[in-house]
Amino acid sequence: MASIAFEGLTKRFGTTDVVRGIDLAVPSGAFLSLLGPSGCGKSTLLRMLAGLEDPSEGRILFDGEVVNDVPPGRRDIAMVFQSYALYPHMTVAQNIAYPLRKRGVKRAERDAAVARVAAMLQLDALLARRPRELSGGQQQRVALGRALVRDPRIFLLDEPLSNLDATLRSLMRSELVALHRRIGRTMVYVTHDQLEAMTMSTHVAVIDGGVLQQFGSPADVYRRPANRMVAGFIGTPAMAFLDGVVAAGRLLVAGEVVAATGAADGAVTVGVRAEDVTIGDGGIAARVSHVEAVGHETLVTLEGGFGRVTARAAADCALVPGDAAAWAARAERLHLFDDRSGVRLDAPCSPVRGPTPRDEQHDG
Amino acid sequence: MKGRLARWGWSLFAWGLILLVAAPLVWMVATSLKPEDEVFSLEPALLPEEPTLEHYATLLTETGFAGYFANSATIATATTVVVVGLAVLGAFSLARFRYRGRETIASAVLLCYMLPSVVLIIPLYLMMVKLGLANTIASLVIAYTSFALPYALWLLRTFMAAIPAEIEQAALIDGASRMGAFFDVLLPQALPGIISTALFTFILAWNEYLFALVLVNADDVRPLTTGVMTMLVSGFNIEWSLLMAASVMMSVPLIIILAFLQGYLVKGFGAGAVKG
Repeated sequence: MASIAFEGLTKRFGTTDVVRGIDLAVPSGAFLSLLGPSGCGKSTLLRMLAGLEDPSEGRILFDGEVVNDVPPGRRDIAMVFQSYALYPHMTVAQNIAYPLRKRGVKRAERDAAVARVAAMLQLDALLARRPRELSGGQQQRVALGRALVRDPRIFLLDEPLSNLDATLRSLMRSELVALHRRIGRTMVYVTHDQLEAMTMSTHVAVIDGGVLQQFGSPADVYRRPANRMVAGFIGTPAMAFLDGVVAAGRLLVAGEVVAATGAADGAVTVGVRAEDVTIGDGGIAARVSHVEAVGHETLVTLEGGFGRVTARAAADCALVPGDAAAWAARAERLHLFDDRSGVRLDAPCSPVRGPTPRDEQHDG
Repeated sequence: MKGRLARWGWSLFAWGLILLVAAPLVWMVATSLKPEDEVFSLEPALLPEEPTLEHYATLLTETGFAGYFANSATIATATTVVVVGLAVLGAFSLARFRYRGRETIASAVLLCYMLPSVVLIIPLYLMMVKLGLANTIASLVIAYTSFALPYALWLLRTFMAAIPAEIEQAALIDGASRMGAFFDVLLPQALPGIISTALFTFILAWNEYLFALVLVNADDVRPLTTGVMTMLVSGFNIEWSLLMAASVMMSVPLIIILAFLQGYLVKGFGAGAVKG
């Protein structure tokens, strides 16, 4: 087990900064997800952790010790690659035994360890096969087995589930979480799938353009996104962003007062999540542009002078595209962002008390 | 209907091609088995009436054929070992390491390959004389290496570049050293490419004539190609029967090797064709 820390970590390829000055630290036993769109630098970050890339600047620490110059084989880590990177000419048993063989573990001990891991991952029947004779899910388990056999202090996983079909993916997701709970090792998990990051991690680092956007618990990142990028990246359907104005402690969207707020006067960006929108009689007038019945609920997209929001409605919602509707959002759940920098404004919103919004506007 | 006709047409065309290529070989084998009088018969027959192995016996017992054969085998084997050894390491470097001038080196290698080898004969000969290697087997090994190596490097580099780097990286993380990852993981993956490179080199060295003619002038180091020619072909006479028997025996090693390793050869050339 080991804690991990990055200090001012930067990676440059030629003149391009792929990773820019990342600082973060997770305690021993954490499940850290590096989350971001493709090309954001998360894989490079993981490869630096593994020792496959040298940082251009900054330090990487395991348990407080700088490991920048420690070669991959001596970092006491295991890695599962997105492509699995199994050794094609070796059998499943030889693949799993390889890390032990390279560390001079005796044959009998090796066989016992392989048997133990194979039993855990239900690979017993496949030990004599070669990787190309296995399905994607089986290959993935072999890759995991090769990582598990040695009991390293840190596990690195580079989008290990992205090549699996949806059913298998959700199964492996819960198996990985159970595995993490059981062995208690520090895990670093790279993904572009926010659902994976949210459901599996103890810590999430959202990365975009090589820069750490936010670091916190999954709940933190969801409830208090640090900026528009994080807010828009996390949550399905994506958060809607509307132009708003703050005037005298009131937040207005499309001329309607939607909340009281402590933010300073001026233009702001208002973020609204679908589950916080209710469609009813009062509120901002809109037209239904799109209805998606997902089964247990219906996603209704509304358009109007304010822009576009999506609402989570009941499964039996009868709205059809073209209908007129009005919507309101729970004021205390609105997110305010600086309209230029996109940074979160730490001013809570609250429902407007007393007069109805319409009267309020006349007063203002 | 039309499809069947086209298929017949293609079959006919293919068999025609095979006949064209195979006919001289069949003639060669047939002639080597005919007694002298049948060879010069005014009514030539394809198949010998009284097959005989006397020409083979003559070649092996009364001429220097066995010596030439041994020389050729030595030269081709040595060239193959040297070329494959150097090319595997060089290609690994060109395919996997990042350093200044890597692409320049790769292009220079290709440029060397494009140079017609004829222009190298005289300089090489003079160098061999200076080095005291003229008329030695080593001189031929060096000469063949000089033009087999660029191609081998290029072929193997393409082959290795097509092998995902991630499996080597996985080996590094699993505790292998750089060379350990090379031997444990890359080499087995590159084996088809290595075998086809070795075959290519061996065939080239085995069949080479021009350099052997110029660089070697002593009978005890001559390879088969020039040895057989000087022995059996003169201005006055060509020993057809012996020549054909010699040709058959020269082809046998290649045919045996190719029969066993044909699969690898096709694979290797395929890889070379994908990426230039």
